[in-house]
Amino acid sequence: MSDRYVPVQWNPNKWLYDAVLIACVAAYILIYLNLGNPAADVTRPADGAIVRMRAFGTCAFFMLTAILCIGPLARLDRRFLPLLYNRRHFGVITAVVAVTHSTYVLNWYFAFSPTPRLEALLGANTSYGQLLGFPFEAFGVFALIVLAILAATSHDFWLNFLTPPVWKRLHLMIYPAYAAVVAHVVLGYLQDTKNPAFALVFGAAALSVAGLHLAAHLKDGAARRAKGAWIPVARPQDISDSRARIVKMPDGRRAAVFRDGARIGAVSNACAHQNGPLGEGRVIDGCITCPWHGFQYRLEDGCSPPPFTEKVPTYDLRLQDGVIEIAAEANAPGTPVTPLDVPEASDV
Amino acid sequence: MESAQTLLMAGQVYVWIGLAVAVVFLGWGLDRIDAKGHGSWMFRPLLVPGVILIWPLVLWRWQVLARENDNLQNRHRPPLTTQRLMGLGLVLAIPVLIAGALLLRQDGPLERPAVMLETAAETSSNE
Ligand code: FES
Repeated sequence: MSDRYVPVQWNPNKWLYDAVLIACVAAYILIYLNLGNPAADVTRPADGAIVRMRAFGTCAFFMLTAILCIGPLARLDRRFLPLLYNRRHFGVITAVVAVTHSTYVLNWYFAFSPTPRLEALLGANTSYGQLLGFPFEAFGVFALIVLAILAATSHDFWLNFLTPPVWKRLHLMIYPAYAAVVAHVVLGYLQDTKNPAFALVFGAAALSVAGLHLAAHLKDGAARRAKGAWIPVARPQDISDSRARIVKMPDGRRAAVFRDGARIGAVSNACAHQNGPLGEGRVIDGCITCPWHGFQYRLEDGCSPPPFTEKVPTYDLRLQDGVIEIAAEANAPGTPVTPLDVPEASDV
Repeated sequence: MESAQTLLMAGQVYVWIGLAVAVVFLGWGLDRIDAKGHGSWMFRPLLVPGVILIWPLVLWRWQVLARENDNLQNRHRPPLTTQRLMGLGLVLAIPVLIAGALLLRQDGPLERPAVMLETAAETSSNE
């Protein structure tokens, strides 16, 4: 963690992640440029500029698809979690690819337009009243604006300044943006193409986003139905040392119940930094350590050790018939709670 | 064409206001509300596009922080419900969009196969 902002936080893992990603994008574009030409039919040959435009457009679509799949995949299977950690760089690169696509559109289709290019794009087709021949460009423009906003607000400063919930809400615009991209493709290219391969791959990609979200939703549903003022968690010895049990609270939030030797404490599962899953981290030197970027919080009060100032809410705990129970209501961030003392758990 | 012009005009005005907000906020306001920003200047140019794009939100947060009535508890309320609903919306929207567009397509599944209206013989006799 840091107490100062830096332009970009990079570490070896992120370098690798970004390098692999950029290599994949380059490979995709190159392959598409080589294979894209024959896909056009004789009556309507696609020339270089159109193929380049489609290469970047489809690339941005597949990247966005991947971004939207990572979330539910990580909820369904923890092995996908590492992919989640650097999603912001993924998003920024996607925005760059999408902007490249739109630049090709403007410079090709409207290159000789007497009016300014942007104006020509917006004014070329205004049949908003009909579905067939609907100006699908509008969907693309909307998605592009959203991607630009998300990329431009991906720096840590924004998270801290807007607060994680507001930032997160802003970034949830990725959902409507994806729907808009799907509309952009189905009302545009898909109305016209004679290439069933693209239609099939496109449909499969978009439907898997829908399918994965449905699956993750059903999985979470069961956990949301538990209610009560005190919620049973587990027996102390069932939580492995310096690890946590994540509990879904009735209000939809999550708490992380940690065991550090014979001490048990609970904090909100959402890290103060980027709402990372604290409960998937471990206790290091008596501090709960976030698995995402390593922010630390003391077990007994949810405060970061000085000089840091971050705080997370804590929860009251009690022991009932040998089972840990957690209070349904969270305490204010940084409220001290004496950890439960369970000497027997540490001997197991 | 006219509405396109108006739209672009509005966009330009928005961007200019954003630029003004960016200059004032990054040059002056930021130091007063965010301790982590103190003395670090390198990251500020990176924030300019963000401020330009969402300046109304920036102004709102700025005044909340300046009046120091930020509710700390809120920082830990991730919008889980909103996220769930958005996800469900997507689950519905994607199949509807795809199915709808396929039905709409002029040579889609509902289109009758093409038939030749004149036989070859007729064509030649017409000449
Ligand atoms: S340290 Fe970044 S989310 Fe926890």
